[in-house]
Amino acid sequence: MEDKNNILKWLNRETSDEELARLQESKDFKTLEKIAHYASQIETPKVNVDKSLEDFKLRTQKTAKKGRVIPFNFKQLYKYAAAIIVLFTTSYFLFFNNETSFKTKFAQTKTFQLPDNSEVVLNANSEITFDKKEWESNRHLTLNGEAFFKVQKGKKFTVLTDIGEVTVLGTKFNVKERVNYFEVKTYEGLVSVAYKDTLVKLSKGTIFKVVNGTIDTVNTFNIKENSWLQKESNFKSIALRFVLKEIENQFGYTIETKDIDLDILYSGGFTHADVNIALQSVTIPLQLSYKIEGEKIIIFNYDN
Amino acid sequence: MTNKSLCDEIYFNEFYSTHIQSASNFAYYKSGDKNTSLDLAQEAFIKIWENCTKIDFSKAKSYLFTVINNLFLNKIKHQKVVFEYAKSSPYLDVDNQSPEYLLEEEEFKVKLKNAIADLTEGEREVFLMNRIDGKKYREIAEMLELSQKAVEKRMSSALKKLRSKINGI
Repeated sequence: MEDKNNILKWLNRETSDEELARLQESKDFKTLEKIAHYASQIETPKVNVDKSLEDFKLRTQKTAKKGRVIPFNFKQLYKYAAAIIVLFTTSYFLFFNNETSFKTKFAQTKTFQLPDNSEVVLNANSEITFDKKEWESNRHLTLNGEAFFKVQKGKKFTVLTDIGEVTVLGTKFNVKERVNYFEVKTYEGLVSVAYKDTLVKLSKGTIFKVVNGTIDTVNTFNIKENSWLQKESNFKSIALRFVLKEIENQFGYTIETKDIDLDILYSGGFTHADVNIALQSVTIPLQLSYKIEGEKIIIFNYDN
Repeated sequence: MTNKSLCDEIYFNEFYSTHIQSASNFAYYKSGDKNTSLDLAQEAFIKIWENCTKIDFSKAKSYLFTVINNLFLNKIKHQKVVFEYAKSSPYLDVDNQSPEYLLEEEEFKVKLKNAIADLTEGEREVFLMNRIDGKKYREIAEMLELSQKAVEKRMSSALKKLRSKINGI
């Protein structure tokens, strides 16, 4: 049996010299050698390649009169289609996209004007986007974070946030939208706030607040203190968690707490100028302590 | 898009020139008929040309042999195949010129020729593709769309038959 495999290997020109020597010793090898040798001398009709190709062309020309169907090459089409799509999308973004956006990072505020000269002051860690081209016909913008608006009189002015929608004609007002926190303060004129199914009209000096999905009923505030514009934040009976969030936004630290009731209410304010003073003005009234470690603030109970 | 297309005349001509001889040989191993083998190969190439859009260039070779096989099955009546040796083919032992040796070899050649004609088609095409065209089993397997094991099997059963016929058992 081993013999048989070796013979096959030999005919396939894969035998080593050693194997060949062993094979040559087998008694039947003479016959095999002759078979292999003479079989390869059987004559096959030689094909004259050029002549037969010519003949082939002649024969195909006759059949070609039927008209050979050349299929539409879709792969080729995809190539052009892809190129055209890329061209159109890039040019669209280059020439037709008038989305303008303003963004602030931690501990940064930005003041800018909208196309109709309305003023916006953007608080820390916030973003506003609007369509420049459509602005004249449609004054609406998207807000993520907190901003103060001084709107020029004119058509309806709308601020869209993930939580609610604020519509005005021409006033001064402040919109604050943080995680689970939505607040609108009216400094001048009349502001209408749409929150889910409720539509509230806020007159001067009133505040609309939604915390964790429930509408807060405390609804007046001091117009004189549009606090963050004067580089401080003020709170009136606000859960500690939102106060701490605001400290994070203003100073760019992350805050960790240990065994602290985050729902405890805080009234007061903190300055944006100095993190230590700010932390003190929040922690001392609540009898808490804090520690700053690099980019992290740890707040814990005073007694511990 | 570097794929060669058989519809492109340059590639087709290249494909034709490379394979026409082995295609004709293959037809010959099957039919043993000198007069029809080239025709059969030509016809197979025409089929490929007509269907050039449907055939992948890399698959064309095995497609060619499949077509020849099918044409053969459809057209050629099974007949006794006849092979001839090339004139002036050298003997195995070229130095030995003794009349007895020459006679012995001639006798052997006749026996071999007849034994090959008696092989089954499958055995014969594999055996002769290996012997005459010098193709390796793997190439043959690829052309005929068989496994290499199947080719080896045909090869060894061909050898077995040839040996037993020649040894007169």
